[in-house]
Amino acid sequence: MVPLSKKMTSRNLFGSWLLAMGTLLFPWQSATADTRVAIITSANAPALEQLAARELESQFQRLFVNIDTSLSHQPTSEAQVIVLVGSPRTNPHLKEAIGESWPDISDQGLVIKSVSLDGQQALVVGGGSPVATLWAVYELGQRYGVRYLLRDDVYPQQKVPLAVDDLDMTLEPRLRARTWRTVNDFAMGPESWGLADHQRVLRQLAKLKFNHILISLWPWQPFVHYEFGGVKKQTATFWFGERYRVDGDTPGKKVFGGARFFENPDFAGLQDYDDLSTAGVRHLRGIIDAAHQLGMQVGIAFYPLEFPREFQAALPGSRVAHQLKSLTIAPSGEQHPNDPTLKALAATKVRAYLDTYPTIDALYFRMSEFPEWKEHAQEAWKSLMRGSQGKGLSLQDLIRSARSRNTIASGNRGEMSLKGNLVSLAFLQDLLKEEGLLQRRDGRQVDVVVTGVDTALFPVLDRVLPANASTLHFVDYTARRVAQNKELLHDVPVRQVKSRLVMTLADDNVGVLPQTVLQSLETLTDHLQDEHWDGFSTRYWMLGELDPVVYFLSRAAWDAQVTSRSVHDEFWNAVTEHPSTAERLWKGWQHLEQATTKIDKYALGFGFPVERMMMKHYQSSPEPAWWEEVNEHYTQLLIELYRAHSASTSPRGRSLMLYYAKRATYATEYLAAVKALREAAVAREEGDMEKAIEHMEVALEQTYNCMTTLADVARDQSDRGLIAVLNAYAYQPLKREYERLVDEEDSRQ
Amino acid sequence: MASAHAENWAQFRGPNASGVSTESDNLPVEFSHEQNVAWSVELGLGIASPVIHGDRVFATTMTDEHTFAVLAFDAATGKHLWRKEFDTGPLQEITPPNEHASSTPVTDGEHVYVYFSTLGMIALNADDGKLMWRHELPKPFYLLAWGPANSPIIYRDMVYLNLDDDLDPYLIAFDKTSGDVRWRSPRPEMLGGYATPVFCEVDGRTDIVVAGTGKLKGYDPENGEELWSCNSLLRTIMTTPAVHQDKIYVSVQSYGDTQRVLKYALLQWSDTNQDGKLSREEVNEAFWDKFDKGDSDEDGFLVDDEIDHAFQSPTNMVGGGNIIQAIRGGGEGDVTSTHMVWNLSNTAPSNIASPLAVEGRLFVVKKGGISAAFNAENGETIWMKKRIKNFGNYFASPIAGDGKIYVTGENGFVVVLAIENDRPVVLAKNDMGDSCVATPAIANNCLYVRTLNKLFCISHPDHQSAEGAGG
Repeated sequence: MVPLSKKMTSRNLFGSWLLAMGTLLFPWQSATADTRVAIITSANAPALEQLAARELESQFQRLFVNIDTSLSHQPTSEAQVIVLVGSPRTNPHLKEAIGESWPDISDQGLVIKSVSLDGQQALVVGGGSPVATLWAVYELGQRYGVRYLLRDDVYPQQKVPLAVDDLDMTLEPRLRARTWRTVNDFAMGPESWGLADHQRVLRQLAKLKFNHILISLWPWQPFVHYEFGGVKKQTATFWFGERYRVDGDTPGKKVFGGARFFENPDFAGLQDYDDLSTAGVRHLRGIIDAAHQLGMQVGIAFYPLEFPREFQAALPGSRVAHQLKSLTIAPSGEQHPNDPTLKALAATKVRAYLDTYPTIDALYFRMSEFPEWKEHAQEAWKSLMRGSQGKGLSLQDLIRSARSRNTIASGNRGEMSLKGNLVSLAFLQDLLKEEGLLQRRDGRQVDVVVTGVDTALFPVLDRVLPANASTLHFVDYTARRVAQNKELLHDVPVRQVKSRLVMTLADDNVGVLPQTVLQSLETLTDHLQDEHWDGFSTRYWMLGELDPVVYFLSRAAWDAQVTSRSVHDEFWNAVTEHPSTAERLWKGWQHLEQATTKIDKYALGFGFPVERMMMKHYQSSPEPAWWEEVNEHYTQLLIELYRAHSASTSPRGRSLMLYYAKRATYATEYLAAVKALREAAVAREEGDMEKAIEHMEVALEQTYNCMTTLADVARDQSDRGLIAVLNAYAYQPLKREYERLVDEEDSRQ
Repeated sequence: MASAHAENWAQFRGPNASGVSTESDNLPVEFSHEQNVAWSVELGLGIASPVIHGDRVFATTMTDEHTFAVLAFDAATGKHLWRKEFDTGPLQEITPPNEHASSTPVTDGEHVYVYFSTLGMIALNADDGKLMWRHELPKPFYLLAWGPANSPIIYRDMVYLNLDDDLDPYLIAFDKTSGDVRWRSPRPEMLGGYATPVFCEVDGRTDIVVAGTGKLKGYDPENGEELWSCNSLLRTIMTTPAVHQDKIYVSVQSYGDTQRVLKYALLQWSDTNQDGKLSREEVNEAFWDKFDKGDSDEDGFLVDDEIDHAFQSPTNMVGGGNIIQAIRGGGEGDVTSTHMVWNLSNTAPSNIASPLAVEGRLFVVKKGGISAAFNAENGETIWMKKRIKNFGNYFASPIAGDGKIYVTGENGFVVVLAIENDRPVVLAKNDMGDSCVATPAIANNCLYVRTLNKLFCISHPDHQSAEGAGG
């Protein structure tokens, strides 16, 4: 809203460098006596403001040389610098110091301003709400050169003298809802993280000013229990029911510390449904509490129309849903949306979530990805459009639109998606009319967010949603595809319906390979800002290469002036503390994005982490030309990363470069395995078994190598989960086929 | 467990770095970190091999970020005998799989000699770990931050250390009792390398032989005088030659082709702004003198030949490739054309795992667990590219004893091979439960395996006593 002062902006890129140079040029400053800094909150300050003050003190101690900080409620004449934390509403000293100069800001607005208090040098760090005050502290840290990553912070290596004069900035977000999705699915995703892992990431997300947490759940997970029609939920599993052995001949097994199975640490060794459920509730409540303590809103996303298979007995006419491992049931084509049993079961599930997690702020109702509930589409359309004309659109118009669009769900799949979506929305409207269904124990209504509304319905979105619901839109799997189809977003009536967009940072169909989508995110954030969307929600599995894109989102959500390049430079200059690395990494990241684009474009699903992930390439057709192109992009990426590694003067920067470089190496080794496997299939087809075995050995060796390469730098549960996935879906199947070929050849001889 | 006559494996790869035990028998075939373990101890992080003299085993480790320790154990029981710790001070960056505790000690039974980059050469009393002497040495520097991993050896009354770095490479000899430097022979033509020196006796003369950049050189062990040079090697050598009778076997894989001299590596990795030239800021400050000497036009940058002249000797401008050679020891001056017995250029060599000369064959193994063997006499191929059914990297060198070859993978699996009808046969693949970079040792009919964090004594079940078992 109010632009940053030019002084602050000029510090944006090289602030820490200039300050560090100041120390080198004026070394006597570091020999002076300690500067006393008093950080003042009111005695009754909200918890988040108290946290803000503690965080500010901790940052100052790590950033500045020769300072003596204290936290108090009363300014003291002994302090050379006073920092006033909070807002005029919460901190009377701040009010006195800033007077009428406190800007007109929203509850998310931030203020950092140099002032004078009784002749003393003072700094106001505050916001339009307690959480905004916390963000202001982190914004100040950012301006002083701290970079917040998803795993930790990077501080400038050199402490500098404290300088708080001439600061004057007010910030308002351009995207108010900055949502982080978590839990979800797959061993390489946050479904594998323990509570401690979640808490660590949440703390970092607060520093990046995320303000919504979306806990995405599946019906088969151990996070909620309910009973209906004499059936008790009995399914409690992870990762679509997979168990991953990681002992014996598992390449890279050193990262598992001798364990037999890969497990979420909060559920290690648990088998019994009750034990798993108890641990599940504890786990999720821990995430919710941690997020709330950081001022975030928390919602649970679930499928209201999918249930574990044991409920088939309680829901006559249901069918097994089209999902991995077929663990759930859903309404069948024949089942009427008005089926009272279905409605009662869905209501039971809604209530179970609210009773189990009584502090959540929102429920996200997810539309099925592959709805087959299409038989009643016409009736549902009529019901939804009752009393209106559908803005002049007929169902046929919408079907034509769904069939002809350029996204993954087009043609028959598009029509099926639209029809199923309509019936589900009609059901949902009806379900949510039930009195008190969405009421928490404390009497508050939870917010309703509908996710996955078919894009063909965007023009009539305000008619098809339940009352007061907002939306989270999933347009296509990858950010590139969404950016390519951004005209679809024009149809969303964002002034009538608060809308967020799913931003895929790394897609599970591109899968197990490193990826980035920075350029597409830039297109999308600009679009959302221009069209006044409420915000976005992330979609990812591994933290992998996310740091630069999450950092971009955190900056672009607040500052219309930033570009992907300016944010890239701002990030890497600070992290590596070497001016040449940003250019190298820009080139490297462009290669990564080109690799991502090619996989997305030519073979979405190339690395989808399922059973046939590797062996699907065991076919005798010629190697597609784009494989080599992708390999070249990853190779160039790793070269640039090693160059940046050589140049980086910051230990943290070097360690990060090495992590990325190893992951790029892993990508080249994985691709080499795929290529060798294809060659093995060709040789087998040609009857040259000796050659087939040789190629198979190369495929095995490269798979082995890629797993040990990952193990060299594995840092978190997602990294370990990926190794477990590669073992199950690449190394072991390859080994089995190799041994089969060898046996076959031996018996032939 | 230990036999009456204790066999010594007193330095890296045992007697003359050969990797061959001639005395141990009934060595274990099947074992693991849980099976046939006579004893085991937690050591902490390290990749140096254990050494054994008499009834004692010596090993090294980093006990924390800045503490280096030498430890002694009873070879039969694993009982802890003593431990000597040193504050290392600030350490340079190194590149994995290298670790700071990387130099294998050498012992004569009275003293244990060990090298550490920031401490220099150290002599400890083998009985109690008491410091006998310490000789500080200049810190080595590496253009690509590999870090040091050079191991000392003993011959008669001297301790030798070859320290080829990229700044100031040299071969040095200490009086093993006093620690005085007996001689120091600069090796200015060399780049960073890791070959342990070996001895070769020909016609009654014993030379100390060192493999380095482009050249295998023989020195007089008494005074360090260079006696001969065979100029047939490659740019980088991390393997140690094997000696059998009068022949020295060298197996090297050095990255790139024969044209790939050092400047290409530096332009690839150190030229961080990719302007095709090196600035001072793009190389470690330790190399600035060399930089300035190479900067012939004094424009502040090294371009093309200037890079060569700054860092790689103009008289030794060799590139990469693959070679396996047999070179007859002895001679005078340039023996390149006179002493080369056979010379192969094929893809068999490893860049790190050294060759093994045993039973008339030269055995090599490289990344992927791909083995090859050659007739030691004439270089004829016995087999090429036979997999030993264990993938991954091979940083430890193969060793042999009791008719078996032990090949240790970085993944912690020790593959035991026999050679039958001139083909390798996998007898067992044994999981040591942790990554393994150190070359194992053989002594007292046992195999001593140093994983990244532990030391195991593995023995055939027939050898195990109740006292030692239960690790």
